[in-house]
Amino acid sequence: MSFAGGAAGVEIDIGIGLGHAHYAALFEAPPALDFVEVHSENFFADGGAALAVLHRARALYPISLHGVGLALGSAAGLDPWHLERLARLVQRIEPVRVSDHACFARAVPASDAFGAGMVHANDLLPIAFTEAQLAIIAANVMQVQERIGRPMLVENLASYVSFVDDEMTEPVFLAALCRRTGCSLLLDVNNLMVNALNAGSREPLGACCAFVDALPAGIVGEIHLAGYADAEPAEAGVDATDEKRSPSIVVDDHGSRVRPAVWAVFEHALRRFGPVPSLVEWDTDLPAFEVLLGEARHAAELAERLAV
Amino acid sequence: MVCLARLATPTSEAQRQRELLTALRTGTASARVALRECGERAARGLEAYRANAESIAERALASTFVTVQTMLGRSDFKHLACEFWRAHPPERGDLAEWGGALPAWLAGHRKLTAWPWLADTARLDFAVHGAERAKDGVLDAHSLSQLESADPAQLRLVLMPGTGVLDSPWPIVSIHRAHQLAGEAGERAFAEVRAGLAAQRGEHALIARRGWRAIVYPLDAASAAWTRDLLDGFDLAAALKRAGEGFDFTAWLGTALREAWLQGVAACDN
Repeated sequence: MSFAGGAAGVEIDIGIGLGHAHYAALFEAPPALDFVEVHSENFFADGGAALAVLHRARALYPISLHGVGLALGSAAGLDPWHLERLARLVQRIEPVRVSDHACFARAVPASDAFGAGMVHANDLLPIAFTEAQLAIIAANVMQVQERIGRPMLVENLASYVSFVDDEMTEPVFLAALCRRTGCSLLLDVNNLMVNALNAGSREPLGACCAFVDALPAGIVGEIHLAGYADAEPAEAGVDATDEKRSPSIVVDDHGSRVRPAVWAVFEHALRRFGPVPSLVEWDTDLPAFEVLLGEARHAAELAERLAV
Repeated sequence: MVCLARLATPTSEAQRQRELLTALRTGTASARVALRECGERAARGLEAYRANAESIAERALASTFVTVQTMLGRSDFKHLACEFWRAHPPERGDLAEWGGALPAWLAGHRKLTAWPWLADTARLDFAVHGAERAKDGVLDAHSLSQLESADPAQLRLVLMPGTGVLDSPWPIVSIHRAHQLAGEAGERAFAEVRAGLAAQRGEHALIARRGWRAIVYPLDAASAAWTRDLLDGFDLAAALKRAGEGFDFTAWLGTALREAWLQGVAACDN
C-alpha cells in the first residue's frame, strides 16, 4: 500500500494490526500492506502455533512489535523476565519497529489486601507528567534500548484520569523523553481525541491539532489510528462529540471504524510530520478482514491526497 | 477544574502508582490519589479501568481454562475470574503466564465444594495450555540407535517438550474429552462422565503435543508411573526396574513413536 506521489516522490508505509481472527484471511490472499503489527506478548512462548504464524507473516511482511506489558513508566522498574522475552522475540523476528506505551502497570499495592507481592495490572495505567516520572520512564526506556540494541518507540496514552500535580504538558513530557533517550514517539491520534473528549474540550479537533503542533518536528516514528466508544453508550444516535451527550467518558477500545474527526487529526499530523508509517488498529469486535483493509486503504488515500 | 488540590500530593511516583493501583483493585478511590477529575467524572474514569481489568481477566483465563469455562458457563466463570483477579493478580505482563494458582484456589473455594473435580479439571486445562506454548520438539531419530547397543543404565528417554502427567481421583480425562464432543458422541461421553463421577473413578492423564495442539491421553496407573519416571530423569534401567516385569516396553516404545511422545535418547549426565 505504499504510495509514491507528489513531486518529492514521498512514500508512506501503511499497515494493520494483525489479530488471531484475521490470520487465515491474511495468508489466503496476502494483501498489499507495507507492514503488519502484532502485540509482542502474544508471541513470548517458547514455541507453539502463534510463533509459527508470526514467522509465516514475517516471510510476507515487515513486522512491527507493539508491546502492551513493558510498563515503561513503572517506578518499580521493568520486569527482567519480560525484557528478556522481548529481546528474544526481537532477535527471532528482526522487526521493523519495537514499541510500547508511556504508562505504568507494575507496582506493589499500597494495601496488603492482595498480598505483598508485585502486581502487573496488565493495563495501560496513566503516569503523571512530572520531572520525577520523566526520569523513571527515561531510565526504563534506556534499559530496553540497551537490551534490544536499537531505539524504540513510545506511544502516548488514552487516559481516563489524570493528576493534579502535573508539572508539564504531555507534549513537553513526550518530547523530553525522546530527547533524553533517543526513542521516537508512536503518536496515537485516536488517543488524542479520546483524551480531548474526556477532558470536556469544546473543540476536541482543535485540541488534538494543538497537541500535534506542540510536538517537535521529526519526533514521530509511527502513527496509530483506531476507533473509540462510549464507556456507557448514550441514547441511540447521540455521538460522543455531540454536546447533548451525558457526561460519560469514551474509551479507546479499538473496536470500530476510525471516526471522521480522528481522520482529520491524522491528516493534520501528516501535514506536520510528513510521511510517517501509519497503522490501523482493530482489536475488539473484529470486523471482516476486508473492512479493516478498507480502513488501511482510506489511510493510504488520505496520505496520497496530501502528497499530490 | 482542580477538585482535590487540597489533598497532599504523593511524595514519590512510586507511592502515586501504588495508591492508584490499590484504588483500582479495591474499587475505592484513595484520598491520596490526587486526581484532576472529581466527583462522578473521576468515578467513571476509575470504573473504566476496573471494567477493562475484569474484561481482560475473563478473556485471559477463558483462553487458558477452556473446559472450566464450559463447565461453569460464561456468567459464573466471569464472576470467578474477577474474584480470582483480586485474590491472585497477575505478576507478569504476559497474561498467558497467569493462572497457575487457579486450581488450588478453586479447590478451596467455599461455593464450589459440590464440584470437587473442578480443581483437577483446571490443572489439566493449564497443562494443556502449557504444552501448546512449549518449545517445538523434533524427534532425534538417530539417537534411538543407542537403544540397541548402549548400557540402559547410561541412557534416559527424553520426552517431547510440554509433555506431562496428571493423576486425579476424578475422571478428568473423560471430563476433558466430553467437553470437546458434540451431538450423540457428546451425550455418550457425558453419560460416561456422570458414571465416573458417581463411582469416583480416578483417571491418569498424559498431556502431549501433536503438531500444534496438545492431546490428552488416558493412561493406566503403571504407564502413568513410568512416564513420570521418565520425566523425572530416571535412567532407562532404573525406570524399567521400577515399572516391573509386567511392563511391555516394546509396545510402549511403538506407541510413543507413533504418537510423537518421544524426542530421543540421551546419555545420562552422570
